[in-house]
Amino acid sequence: METNWILFYVTLICLIINPITAEIVNKNVERNLDIASQLVKTSYKIQVEETAGKPLKEYEFIVKDPNLSFISVKDGFNKRPTIEERKEKENGLTRYKITFASNAPQQTLLIETVSTKNILPYPSEIKQNDKQLVKYVGGLYYYSYYLTQTQRLNVQLSSSNIIAHTQVRPFAVMSNKISYGPYENVAKLTDDELFVHYENQSPFLTVNTLERTIEVSHWGNIAVKEEIQMTHTGAKLKGSFSRYDFQKDGRSGQSAVKSYRTYLPASATGVYYRDTNGNISTSNMNQMRDSVELDLRPRFPLFGGWKTQYVLGYNVPSYEYLYNSDDDYVLKMYVIDHIHDNMVIDEAVITIILPEGSSNIKLEPPYSIERRPNSLVHTYLDTVGRPVISFSQSNLVENHIAEFTLKYKFSKVSLLQEPLLVIGFIYIIFLLTIVLLRLDFSITSHSHKD
Amino acid sequence: MESMHRYVSPVNPAVFPHLATVLLIIGTFFTAWFFVFVVSRKSSKESTLIKELLISLCASIFLGFGILFLLLTVGIYV
Repeated sequence: METNWILFYVTLICLIINPITAEIVNKNVERNLDIASQLVKTSYKIQVEETAGKPLKEYEFIVKDPNLSFISVKDGFNKRPTIEERKEKENGLTRYKITFASNAPQQTLLIETVSTKNILPYPSEIKQNDKQLVKYVGGLYYYSYYLTQTQRLNVQLSSSNIIAHTQVRPFAVMSNKISYGPYENVAKLTDDELFVHYENQSPFLTVNTLERTIEVSHWGNIAVKEEIQMTHTGAKLKGSFSRYDFQKDGRSGQSAVKSYRTYLPASATGVYYRDTNGNISTSNMNQMRDSVELDLRPRFPLFGGWKTQYVLGYNVPSYEYLYNSDDDYVLKMYVIDHIHDNMVIDEAVITIILPEGSSNIKLEPPYSIERRPNSLVHTYLDTVGRPVISFSQSNLVENHIAEFTLKYKFSKVSLLQEPLLVIGFIYIIFLLTIVLLRLDFSITSHSHKD
Repeated sequence: MESMHRYVSPVNPAVFPHLATVLLIIGTFFTAWFFVFVVSRKSSKESTLIKELLISLCASIFLGFGILFLLLTVGIYV
């Protein structure tokens, strides 16, 4: 009887000391790495198994790429497991704790990540007629705390012109694709390098700062203004720029950005595209079924290291984004909108200007943002000023186009404040006229002969 | 959120330019009347104060709303 108790305690102690995560293995991992644009888009399909047959609760996921911008996790049943970033960072790794929505010994994880600034031009300076070559350095094996039984890696490139790449057998090259694997039984925390040097002529455009201002008017309009500074962050232009070569030779300046497309909401009207000089006339607008397509052509082609800045603005009717019941209002709009395909925004500042007299303002962002202090702005026909809500976020990509919700209270009577202000002003002029006409400014006193 | 409905302007934005024109014409008419009335006043002893105040009030109300809709028409959304 006593030996039974001792056995029980020993097993209990063993269970406590032995970390539970030690029995988790990655049965099969498939990674798709898309480095055809300036972004590194990775999608993972991971089959996780608890070898002891216990229900799986937590999983540790590591992202090796620096500048991680976006991550989304789904499980095999299209449910969203909760994901939590671990605070402690060790040598540039971002670690996530994933808690599964359901308890089962076998789980499937579908993870998508987007990171920026990991594809670097190599050489970093090219001449006008040269092709833009880039290199990407990442992990060949799936970097994990657990043993990985089988894994594959598919790399999608922008062209079939591959200068060099990591050659660990088995691998196969099919025009603009490289597939690695299957690799069997890779021990945990195995860190081998994947190196790809290839031709990438896709536009390397980075929006350095985006200042997006949303001005709400209860007379039925929402005005959006985007002040944008962008840089071509690809290989820098070496030597002089020849306009003659650029116009004549089709192979010249292939990595230069001549124009790009911006998509605006379908209801956008009164669109303007200008900079400090005034209107930039080299642009086209097409009204599509579900969007307004703008073909923006900067004043000059953008070569590596060149910058441009402009203001883009438009109006949308309020019924598209503003909802109300009595005095409660809800504004639902995108935090950022499309600027160009595969865009990268270094720093975005979003400012929302509400009508004068709004109160009880509550902001619900779709993801974590850095809130800036509220302030007041004075424009036309304002007395105390309009409340301004402002927030910022850095390192944004297209996946961050999501709606924020802004709740506030506004009384309909305040709408009459602006006309009353004008009426009062004009009435005061009339009153002054009435008073001045009744005053006698004559120096000598003479009697009128009526 | 479910009980809420889409917010539309109390005045249809399509009629802003017409409203501005009509209100400004009426307002200008009252202003003209006011100045004609004041200048053609025979003597200062006549008590016309109430009438002057009323005409100028009408003029300022029409001009005030007229200017507001003019601003909205040209794209200054106050």
